[in-house]
Amino acid sequence: MSQVIIHANSNGGVSVTVPTGEISIQSVKEKDTPEGSIIVDDSTLPQGADAQFFDAWELSGSTVTVNFEKAKAIKLAQFNAKAVEEAQKRQLNTLAGIDNAVSDANFTASLTAGRASIASATTTAELVAI
Amino acid sequence: MAGTIVADTLQDGAGNSTAMDNAIYGSAKAWVNFVGSSGSINRSYNVSSVTRNGTGNYNINFTNALASNYYAVAGCVSLDGTIGASGTPCFVLTGGTSSNQQTTSTCQIGVAQYNSTNADHTVVMVSFMV
Repeated sequence: MSQVIIHANSNGGVSVTVPTGEISIQSVKEKDTPEGSIIVDDSTLPQGADAQFFDAWELSGSTVTVNFEKAKAIKLAQFNAKAVEEAQKRQLNTLAGIDNAVSDANFTASLTAGRASIASATTTAELVAI
Repeated sequence: MAGTIVADTLQDGAGNSTAMDNAIYGSAKAWVNFVGSSGSINRSYNVSSVTRNGTGNYNINFTNALASNYYAVAGCVSLDGTIGASGTPCFVLTGGTSSNQQTTSTCQIGVAQYNSTNADHTVVMVSFMV
């Protein structure tokens, strides 16, 4: 178990400061983090699927929680970015005269289904699985 | 016991020599190797801590302040398996050259992808020369 220093940042998220061990964590807190920062065990931070949505973390008192609506928005943005990337590949294949493995209709259907799954998800584990 | 050696040239037993300036200005004044997704430190020199501000966005905090904020930053990240063709990573100073994010006590860096999204990589390596 290691200790880290946390504080709410200007983006509405949480900044986590990890000491290297060159100086004491108390010195790091005074030197590298703003007033009001808190030393916590890293085991108290969101774990597992929750840890994958760092930009959705929020600080409430001394507890870090995951804002699930933010997590869904992050997942949707990732999903859409990947969809654009895949669509570009498909377009290049078409221009090069290469058949796409999945038909346009099935590709579009998979995007619709993925977005529906994100919208209906109730846990970060479900989001990660999409 | 504290002391000072004054010399213009360094020379080894085989007669190979270099100007002292090469040792003073040509060596890294701080460096760190850490895990992007957690900030966990693998090894460091003259770095007191790493602050994760968001996905792929970090402050490297120096144990002892650098001599000037006009230092050079070099960085590299691991090419993780999840990165696609549009995800080629590159390093950026998040605030630009006129920002106060590059000071003698801290430097904020971002690991951006070709498609402009930030990402955490398994290993992030940064060094600073001044």
